[in-house]
Amino acid sequence: MNALVSNVLTQVSITLIAVSGIYVLTGLTGMFSLGQAAFMAIGSYVSGLLVIRAHVPFVLAALLAVAGATLIGYVIGYPVVRLRRDYISLVTLGFGEAIAALLNRMTTLTGGASGLTGIPRLVGLPLAFISAVLAIALAAFFKTSKYGRQCIALKGDELAAKAMGINVTRVKMIAFLLSVALTSYSGVLYAFYMSYVDPTGFGWKKSADWVIMVFFGGVNSLTGSTLGAFILSALPQVLRGLQNYRYVIYAVLVLLILNFKPSGLLGEWELTPRNIQQAFAKLGKKNTAKKEG
Amino acid sequence: MALLEVKNIYKSFGGVKAIQNFSIEANAGEIHGIIGPNGAGKTTIFNTISGVYTADQGTVVLDGKDITKLEQYKITRLGMGRTFQNIRLFKGLTVEENVMCAFDPQSRYSIVGGLLPTPKRRAEEKRGRELCEKYLTVVGMQDYLHERPENLSYGMQRRIEIARALMCEPKILLLDEPAAGLNPTEVAELTELIQRISKEIGFGILLIEHRLELVMSISDKIHVQNFGETIAVGTPDEVQHNPEVIEAYLGKEE
Repeated sequence: MNALVSNVLTQVSITLIAVSGIYVLTGLTGMFSLGQAAFMAIGSYVSGLLVIRAHVPFVLAALLAVAGATLIGYVIGYPVVRLRRDYISLVTLGFGEAIAALLNRMTTLTGGASGLTGIPRLVGLPLAFISAVLAIALAAFFKTSKYGRQCIALKGDELAAKAMGINVTRVKMIAFLLSVALTSYSGVLYAFYMSYVDPTGFGWKKSADWVIMVFFGGVNSLTGSTLGAFILSALPQVLRGLQNYRYVIYAVLVLLILNFKPSGLLGEWELTPRNIQQAFAKLGKKNTAKKEG
Repeated sequence: MALLEVKNIYKSFGGVKAIQNFSIEANAGEIHGIIGPNGAGKTTIFNTISGVYTADQGTVVLDGKDITKLEQYKITRLGMGRTFQNIRLFKGLTVEENVMCAFDPQSRYSIVGGLLPTPKRRAEEKRGRELCEKYLTVVGMQDYLHERPENLSYGMQRRIEIARALMCEPKILLLDEPAAGLNPTEVAELTELIQRISKEIGFGILLIEHRLELVMSISDKIHVQNFGETIAVGTPDEVQHNPEVIEAYLGKEE
C-alpha cells in the first residue's frame, strides 16, 4: 500500500475510535463535552511516559493509561453527570484547557511545549484499523443494550426516564466513562503511531472537531457518526494539494449539511440487517413504479 | 395498613400553596379519582407522591416503606408507576424500546453484557421483550412493536404509556388525565381498559381526570380538590350531591 494512503487511513482509524466515544456521549446521552481531547492527551502522555521513563511493556502501559484516564474521568464525571447540559460543556472545557496547560507547564516530566519525543513507533495501520472496528462494535453493542436504550430515553426526557425507574446519574456516568476509555485508547494509539506528541493538538478545538463530525454524519446514528468522522477526517488529507482551500471546502460542506439536513447525513438510519432489507425493498418498489409509469 | 398511605402532605412554591393537607389511602384493586378545576394542585399531588417533588410536610408510605424523601427512580422501583398528562414517550425509540426502558432498570446484566452479546444479556433481553409483548397485548398495541410512537394516534400513544407504566410492575399506578384529547370511542375503550387492568393485575389506581363521566363511572372513591385543598371525599354519588363541590364547579347561586 502507498505510504500516504496508509498514513491517512491510520489517522482516520484513530479518529474513528475517539469519535465512537463522542457518539456514546453526545449521540446517546446528549451531553456535550468540549474537553474530551484532554482524555486523549492523558492516554498519549501516560502510556508514552510509562514506556519511555519506566520501561513498562507497551500493552501494560496502554492498559494503565486507559485505566488512569477512566479514573480521572470518574472524578470529573462526578459533577458533570449531575449538571445541566450547558454547564457540562463549560466544566469539560475548563478541565480540557487545564490539562493542556498542565502538560505545557510540567516541562521536566512532559517536555512542555516542545512535546514528548522518542516514543517508539509500535502502532501501524493493522492495529489502528482493527482497534477502530472493535471500538465501533463496542459502541454498537452498547447502543442496543439496556444502557443504550436508557441513554436515549434520558436524552429525550429526564423526568420521564426517572419515572420509569432509570437511575439517570448512574447511566450518564457509565456512558461518560465508556466515552473516556475509548478516547484515551485513541490517544495511546496516536502517541505510538506519531512517536511524538505535544499539548497543542489536544485543546478544545479537537473536541469541537469530533462533535462536528458526529453532527455532520448524524448525531442519532452510529453509522452516520462513523461516516461523518471518516469523511471529515480524511478530507483535509485528501485535499492536501489545494492547500488552504481545503479548510474552506471543509467549512462549506459542514455548513451545507447542517443547513439543509440538520439531522446529519444519515439522520437516525443505522446499518442493520432489517434496515438494509427495507432499503432494498423501497428501491425495488421505486423501480417497478418507474417501469409501470 | 393500606398499600399507599399519604398523610397530611403540604407543598408550596413560593407563595403558592399547591397542596394543603392532602391525605389518601389506597389498596390493591381500588380506583381513586382525583378531580378539581385547573390549578387545583392535582398534578402536584402526583409529582409529590412519585418523588418529582419532596413534600414540605407530611408522609408518603408505600407498602410499609416511608418514601417521602426518596429519589424518584427509587420510588418507581419500589412499585409506583405513572403516566403523564402531556404524553411523555421517549423520542428516538420504537414502541417496543419505549416499553423496554421501564424493564431495563430491572434487567440483570452487567456492563460486560452492555458491551458484548453475552448469554446472560441475550436471556435478559428476551425476558424483557416477552414482558413487552405481554403488556402491549394487555393494552391492545401488540401489532405496533417496531413503529415510532410519534407516528401513531394520540389514543394509541396513551395506551403505550400505560403499557410502559405496567412494565414498572407497580403496586400503585398514577394515571394523569389519561382521557385528555381522546374522542368518545377512545374514552369508552380506555374506561374498559382501566377497569380491566385494575381487576386482572390488581394494583391500586389513582386517577386524575376532567372527564367526569369516566371518573364517576369507575372510581370507588373520589377526592375533590380546589385551590390546593380537599373540599370533599366520598363515593361518586356522595360527591355529586355535595354542595361545596357543586359550588366549585358551577359557581355560587345568588
